[in-house]
Amino acid sequence: MEPQRRDARHVETTGPGRPRQAVRFPAAGRCLAAILGMAIATLAGPACAASIVPPERAVSFTADVVPILTKAGCNMGSCHAKAGGGQNGFQLSLLGFQPDEDYDHLLKEARGRRVSTAAPEQSLLLLKATASVPHGGGQRIAPDSEAHRVLLRWIGEGAGLGPSDLPALDKLIVEPAGMTLAPGASQPLRAIARYADGSTRDVTALALYESNDRARAEVDGTGLVDIGSIPGTAAVMVRFQGQVTVATFTVPHGTSLTDLPSPRNFIDEHVFDRCRAVGVPLSPECDDATFLRRVSLDVTGSIPTAAEAEAFLADATPDKRERLVDRLLASPGYADWFANKWTALLKNRRDDTSDTVSNFAFHSWVRDSLLANKPYDRFVRELLAATGTIVENPPVAWYKRVKEPKDQIEDVAQLFLGVRIGCAQCHHHPFERWSQDDYHGLAAYFSQVGRRSTSTRGEDLIFHKRGVAVAVNPKTSAKVSPSALGTPEGPIPADEDPRLRLADWLVRPDNPFFARALVNRYWKHFLGRGLVEPEDDLRDTNPPTNPALLDALADHFRQSKFDLKALVRVIVLSRTYQTSAVPLEANAADLQHFSHFLPRRLPAEVLLDSIDAVTGSSTTFANLPAGTRAIALPDTSYNRSSPFLQVFGRPDGQSVCECERVQSSSLSQSLHLLSAADIKGKLSADGGRADRLSKDGSSDPEKIREVFLATFARLPTDAEMAQAVGVIAEPRTTPEGQPLPDPQARRENLEDLLWALLNAKEFLFNH
Amino acid sequence: MPHPQPGRRIDCRSLGIWVLALSMAAVSVADLRAQSVCLPLPRLLTLVPAGAQKPGDGQGATTVEVTVSGELLDGWEAGGEAVAPQLIFSHPGITATPILSGEGKPEKDRFLVTIAADVPPGLHDARMMTALGVSSPRVFTIGTNPETLRTAANTTPAQAFPLAPGMVCNAQATAQAADHYRLELQKGQRVVIDCAARGIESKLRPVLILADATGADLVAERRGGLLDFTAPATATYLVKLHDLSFQGGPECFYRLLTHDLPVGAPLPERQAAVAPVLTFSWPPPGLPATPITEEIEGADPKAAQQVTLPLDLGGRFFPAADVDSFEFEATAGEVWWIEVASERIGAPTNPAIVVERRLPAGPDGTPGAFEDVAELADIPPPIKPSTNHYAYDGPPYEAGSADCLGRLEIKETGTHRLQIRDLFGGTRDEPQAIYRLVIRKARPDFALVCWPLHMELRNGDRAALSKPMALRGGGTVSLEVAAIRRDGFDGPIELAVTGLPEGVSATGLRIPAGATRGQILFTAADSPPRNLASVSITGRGTTDGEAIERPCRLAGQCWPIRDGWSEIPFPRLLADTTVSVGGSEASPVTLRTTGAGGTPSAPLEVVEGTTLQVPLEFVKRAEVQGATLQMRVIGPGFDQIPGFEFDVAAPKPLAIDLAKLKIPPGDHAFALVASAVTKYVPMTAGQATPPAPTDIAEILVSTPIHVRVTPAAKEATP
Repeated sequence: MEPQRRDARHVETTGPGRPRQAVRFPAAGRCLAAILGMAIATLAGPACAASIVPPERAVSFTADVVPILTKAGCNMGSCHAKAGGGQNGFQLSLLGFQPDEDYDHLLKEARGRRVSTAAPEQSLLLLKATASVPHGGGQRIAPDSEAHRVLLRWIGEGAGLGPSDLPALDKLIVEPAGMTLAPGASQPLRAIARYADGSTRDVTALALYESNDRARAEVDGTGLVDIGSIPGTAAVMVRFQGQVTVATFTVPHGTSLTDLPSPRNFIDEHVFDRCRAVGVPLSPECDDATFLRRVSLDVTGSIPTAAEAEAFLADATPDKRERLVDRLLASPGYADWFANKWTALLKNRRDDTSDTVSNFAFHSWVRDSLLANKPYDRFVRELLAATGTIVENPPVAWYKRVKEPKDQIEDVAQLFLGVRIGCAQCHHHPFERWSQDDYHGLAAYFSQVGRRSTSTRGEDLIFHKRGVAVAVNPKTSAKVSPSALGTPEGPIPADEDPRLRLADWLVRPDNPFFARALVNRYWKHFLGRGLVEPEDDLRDTNPPTNPALLDALADHFRQSKFDLKALVRVIVLSRTYQTSAVPLEANAADLQHFSHFLPRRLPAEVLLDSIDAVTGSSTTFANLPAGTRAIALPDTSYNRSSPFLQVFGRPDGQSVCECERVQSSSLSQSLHLLSAADIKGKLSADGGRADRLSKDGSSDPEKIREVFLATFARLPTDAEMAQAVGVIAEPRTTPEGQPLPDPQARRENLEDLLWALLNAKEFLFNH
Repeated sequence: MPHPQPGRRIDCRSLGIWVLALSMAAVSVADLRAQSVCLPLPRLLTLVPAGAQKPGDGQGATTVEVTVSGELLDGWEAGGEAVAPQLIFSHPGITATPILSGEGKPEKDRFLVTIAADVPPGLHDARMMTALGVSSPRVFTIGTNPETLRTAANTTPAQAFPLAPGMVCNAQATAQAADHYRLELQKGQRVVIDCAARGIESKLRPVLILADATGADLVAERRGGLLDFTAPATATYLVKLHDLSFQGGPECFYRLLTHDLPVGAPLPERQAAVAPVLTFSWPPPGLPATPITEEIEGADPKAAQQVTLPLDLGGRFFPAADVDSFEFEATAGEVWWIEVASERIGAPTNPAIVVERRLPAGPDGTPGAFEDVAELADIPPPIKPSTNHYAYDGPPYEAGSADCLGRLEIKETGTHRLQIRDLFGGTRDEPQAIYRLVIRKARPDFALVCWPLHMELRNGDRAALSKPMALRGGGTVSLEVAAIRRDGFDGPIELAVTGLPEGVSATGLRIPAGATRGQILFTAADSPPRNLASVSITGRGTTDGEAIERPCRLAGQCWPIRDGWSEIPFPRLLADTTVSVGGSEASPVTLRTTGAGGTPSAPLEVVEGTTLQVPLEFVKRAEVQGATLQMRVIGPGFDQIPGFEFDVAAPKPLAIDLAKLKIPPGDHAFALVASAVTKYVPMTAGQATPPAPTDIAEILVSTPIHVRVTPAAKEATP
């Protein structure tokens, strides 16, 4: 399909004029905010001019009335679907997921004033919706609109439920489902509802639309997509009556690629294919120094030492990058760094002194698992189905931190499956296919988790409680058997721990979530951006920027038997990972296709350790051995006593979301690096690098070489060398104006040099 | 483990004085002030080294220098001379003499310990006899391997202490650091490293890490298990050892043993470990040391193993999520008793059993399904242990178990299937998760354990204290006795004590029929001689007309835990029961009946169905807080008496309506119990100004009150 310009737009629902802009409401919470982000239009006449309801049949409350109320925004979370009674005593189910309840609310409450079959025009429903009487939500439906006519007709027909033989909605189709458009182009979408009997219905006017990237594509309430000026990929979600689908738009960068490098593995093949498709060139390969520093930081959370940098730069063998990666993966630093990542996500936080032993045990279990390269599926299985006491079986600690079954399934789904299912606890998930039964079907796997208190305060031992696994849907009071996100489990004997079945399902080859969620999370760790963003929100309506690559990574991970080190290895040895962070003019705008490396600030722990490494000092943490690095801290309690870790955003283990880690920059961070006492103390520490260098017999250029290697993993340029030599030799005076003795002056000059380098972006960022 | 010198006496002439001037009290006072919930008691906390090698064959005794530390381990004064405290052991073949200082005086904390050739390898309890009586015990290991003592700091690779296979290294963990040891290994050489810590009462939760020569970790073992390592190359390797949360110091002692084993050889036996309290109920009397049959792991893990009853079978919960099935034929009306030991034999498991009956086959010949017949899970605690809430609401001792014990009644003749699984075993591949399954005809019996009474219902009190049986003159101490009843035994259990030291009497408060709780009261005379003895506590019952007598093991806390929220109580079974009187201090108060004819131990005689008047005497040797004490009654039958307020200043006789309590004719005993806060003044060491009194809450137990109820005279029929 050819892209259509705005001025040549063809809308099936013909009529003059533009649809009215979406009504915006203040956001209120994650779920609500997402819902409110959807393009919702006041139902005005022109946009809904086509007949919504075929004239040959009666109006159906479920199939016709509810979608009108949904499109008008009446049953949004901020309006009449607000939890706890709706708005002004009128309650509707969120997005019309419970039409039976909605019917009762409309017809049977408020003494029947909301709908008057005797005088349909006087129905409060219409008077409020058209703002003919004061209405807090303003006018939602224009008096002369098709929507108004349908509602009027429904009331006139007796305001019944309507035909009982209407086929069920089977699928929602959007046309076009995907296409390439030029910057500034517009494209109308057409939403088609397909029913169980094979019939179709154009529901373009009734569907809801939302873009996942408004900088690249905006969509209005009529389904008209406006492409922005930034090249890249964007998706528009379309939803109607619980069904969702997505249309994907690619805006090419426009460069014709002829000289892409040779792919080193399947990752490069998929990335280069995508770059070729969108016309974005790759930046050159990064140099050895950059690669050494980058991969050391990403794999071990540490910058290389000056000696390591010098040796690597001097190494002329062709496979030195491969050998470096193998060495890093075999080092305890790998286990420390990734244990740091996982324990935060698994909420290993200390709320009380009595948590200490369990937190240390849990952290150690995670670290040892990584050190031994325990397969990821086994790691998750041991965690999910943990039993016993924490000291004897440390993954039990997860059940101490995540006590409520509700939190257990939501954390498991988000962390290990990339599915945010929390919304479905109370209502059908607005952006996904998950119903309350899906939610409680997952909860049923955890229904037989038995607990018994131990002699440790706040600590239970966990065991499998004999019984048939079942959960109850509180809305319907129906018993729900275990079901793994749409995959019914079948009967589980009372003697079998249902969590083991869930663990079995996770690793099945046809599981569409488990491997994809992990590889996407790790991809983001190394490349700075997930193939799906956020990395733990994998859903049909949030498609990956490179679906083939995501599938290939997941396949590789499965075929490697969930080998995490193998995954890391294949990623960091790809040409894609080794691309320079310096953008080309033609790929500077690309943030989605990995045409250049995306620099990011060093995480709090890594930055603190790196400063210690450069300055030759160490940070002391309460009751831990001297020299314990920040990336090896066993839990989050050390944040409280470390302003540095707080300012630079070390997570507190409150959330299963990686977003709890603050990676943005702030003024307080800059000020801390510039003037905080702890930084000053590290720079001037006795026995520190500045002190040592000022006393050893090396020449100034040798000192500067070491400082640059330790800080940036590279040698200084000639200009840098000349400038640094000048700095070190500069005379200094006391505050009283007396000249400082040479050794002391050189030491302070070296401290200044280190201080300047620590504040350079080249140090603060992994690039 | 043999019991030591029963009835042994320590000479002493200074007795029964509440405030007594003695030397070396300054340290004691500082220690005492920390104790606000229990009168000061001596506690032996560390022995360095924590063990010694047994003499080899044909070798005479071996000796080792041992340094002790603890609380209130002071000696006493006799005849104007200071007497050093004595180090004693639960086996008479282990003896100790003080090491003399340069001036020829005995050092109070250093001893030369001699191990005779007949001392068996294993754990033996060491105690100190002090001014206040006998201390709490600490285990001392007698091993068969040569021993060494780490003497210098070894917290860096450069300081690594060399380890030799087959050598036991005694050390204590360094706080906030890792102890480093060095091993020289050949490529392919296998070593298995065993760190004894919790098993020898250490506070250490050991982490063992095998690292390369630079200190980079290769393998870690953090759950107290064995570290099994085969060297990938000929090189120097490091063993790093630290506490799980980097605690350290004298209380974090350990014994590190390195085994040199061929690849493929089975893992060695662990170093000896103390017995958890819950092990008291295993094995049942008469059970062979090893099972008669073994589980057969077939090709089909779901297939049932055919067995016949009775059954005594050893099995394993392995691999993870293992379910073992056994099918047997049984006849309607049969009653079997099923007992499983797994946790009680040291496995980290929680066994559960389901017994099902196969239903008749379907009309088309399909095998019949199974229906539940019985389900067995935990052995419930005979006395509900503390829940570790705001205050202890029960004893800090768990006498129940995750093992199974229960009755199986066959309702219908046919094929039955027993499935046993580990409720902790879903993901745990642990070959050591063994069990023993016994199915037997009823052999009614019981097992007993006891522990010092702990204070309950005191807001915020979470102190779980080690309480040695160190009696003060005029004082009464109660042990709480818990019984596990087997195979339907429901008769009363009479409690008795033999081998008491002079000046100490004991009275068992019977465990009534069907009940699981009793008490034993130990009472010191007002001025008893300093003394100690290893006593024997037993319970006696009758089953099928036959008298049975079973031992009652004493349990104690390994450490005086003063706040159970920050440190977990850690009890164990003691090797023996040693009772002592210190002779240096008297009990701050004594509550007793004047007894018949003014003799407290003489039973009060009363006629069945009448009201018993119990005259009470309250002897105060220290100030008591409050005018009244809230008193309750312990003892079978009498414990139904509601709690009452006891007037400290003017004790009134206690009137007991025997008719209401339905106390039958016969001999009975009971006691009164209260919590009392007294002003404690410690031994003053001859200071001009005695230390200020300290408020100490303590359990006040009366001397036993003996009652003889005679039958009521029958009215003559007209």
